[in-house]
Amino acid sequence: MIQALAFLREFNLASTVLRLLLAMIGGGLVGYGRSKKQRAAGLRTYTLICIGSALSVMISLYLYEMLHGPWLATVEAVGEKFDASRIAAQTISGIGFLGAGIIFKVAHGQVSGLTTATGLFAVVCIGIAAGAGFYECVILAIIIVILVLNVMSPLESRFKRTVRNINLYVEFASVDDIGTIADRIRDMDAQIFEIDIERTERTENLFPSAVFNLKLSKENHSHSAMLSSVAEMPCVHSVQELIS
Amino acid sequence: MLPLYGPLRDLNLLSVVLRMLLSCACGTLVGLERSAKNRPAGFRTHTLVCMGAAVAALTGLYLYLGPGLPADITRISAQVISGLGFIGAGTIIVTKKMDIKGLTTAAGLWVTGIIGLAIGSGYYEGGIIGTGLILVTETWLGTLSSRIQKRPLFILRVHYREKTSLDQVLRTCKDAKMNIVNLQIRMVNGGEEPLYRADITLRGTTKPGVLLSKVEHMPGIEAAAEM
Repeated sequence: MIQALAFLREFNLASTVLRLLLAMIGGGLVGYGRSKKQRAAGLRTYTLICIGSALSVMISLYLYEMLHGPWLATVEAVGEKFDASRIAAQTISGIGFLGAGIIFKVAHGQVSGLTTATGLFAVVCIGIAAGAGFYECVILAIIIVILVLNVMSPLESRFKRTVRNINLYVEFASVDDIGTIADRIRDMDAQIFEIDIERTERTENLFPSAVFNLKLSKENHSHSAMLSSVAEMPCVHSVQELIS
Repeated sequence: MLPLYGPLRDLNLLSVVLRMLLSCACGTLVGLERSAKNRPAGFRTHTLVCMGAAVAALTGLYLYLGPGLPADITRISAQVISGLGFIGAGTIIVTKKMDIKGLTTAAGLWVTGIIGLAIGSGYYEGGIIGTGLILVTETWLGTLSSRIQKRPLFILRVHYREKTSLDQVLRTCKDAKMNIVNLQIRMVNGGEEPLYRADITLRGTTKPGVLLSKVEHMPGIEAAAEM
């Protein structure tokens, strides 16, 4: 650990300012990339939450100073019933609730908002570390979170384009066509694990539909080739790959 | 820093009055910005949250310092934070367009509660500096965040007859360093010469117009448009 920071590890006005500013900058840096992607939680949300969680730890630190200074007499009379991590611990569960509000189900059994919720969770943890004066950890964590959210995101979607397990959402003319569609998929040497039929009858403008969970063959694992060859079938109305 | 041994750090009538008034002031300051933007939670909501949190923190202190009960002075404060998480979750709305609204409001309420806790605990410096930083974030960073060059998703819609044409379009997208987020193919016309419509969801740095002009004149593409 870096010794030069000794003064800033203590509880004083300089460290209060520094820690809150560090939390603000950290939250802002993480939020900047999310704003760029036009996600629900952007620059402001991340910054506010990071400042809040840093402040929550510092309340505990302040109270500790008080208990071991001006209020020592009470502590000696009643006994010490103090846990310096209690307030910070609740910020994590508090942000968990907020996160749960962001995650929602979209069509065909898919979920949205999960990365935003986990990003907020990560930023609360960074804020706590900043408030506690654990500077090394804060700086490392900011760098890693930014790398994971921004650099790894294109890597992940590129990876998802090459994986062999895919989910196809298909709309077709009648339920009897499921067999022919399955045959076409198998003709491409793909293996079908599961067919989840969502709608069986045609209602108004909605066609019967199903989600095919399948594994493409090693030799021919282009997602778009599978999509366009299923789309070619006369009975198929539309095809879409479900990407989580 | 104020001296740790001051009358305002202790629990007495003066400090209780000061903390409650100060927390109201801080809550109102943060809330005014939200009110000015006509958000669901205005300055009254923020004032209530901040003052309530201060009362909770003061009560925690009082139980220990006043009657001398064996209480943990932080337990009540801690639960305020998770309680506000619940309220915040209620302000978040998912619209029909699958957009999330109210998240900044939720975050703002949550952090205002923590400001209230700091002031109620007697940690005036933290509360006041925190309020300052929140105001900077909500006003200055707000304008900054609307200036950030966003890279939103867009949907490229192409009509084609042969699937090789679609392959070419997809290759062009990849060559332009665009990330294909989703692909949906729909049959528009059946019969002898079927016509298909592909909706390609893309994200990346290339402008939709640039990509469109490349794709438009490709052989086999009947029509192309940005949705």
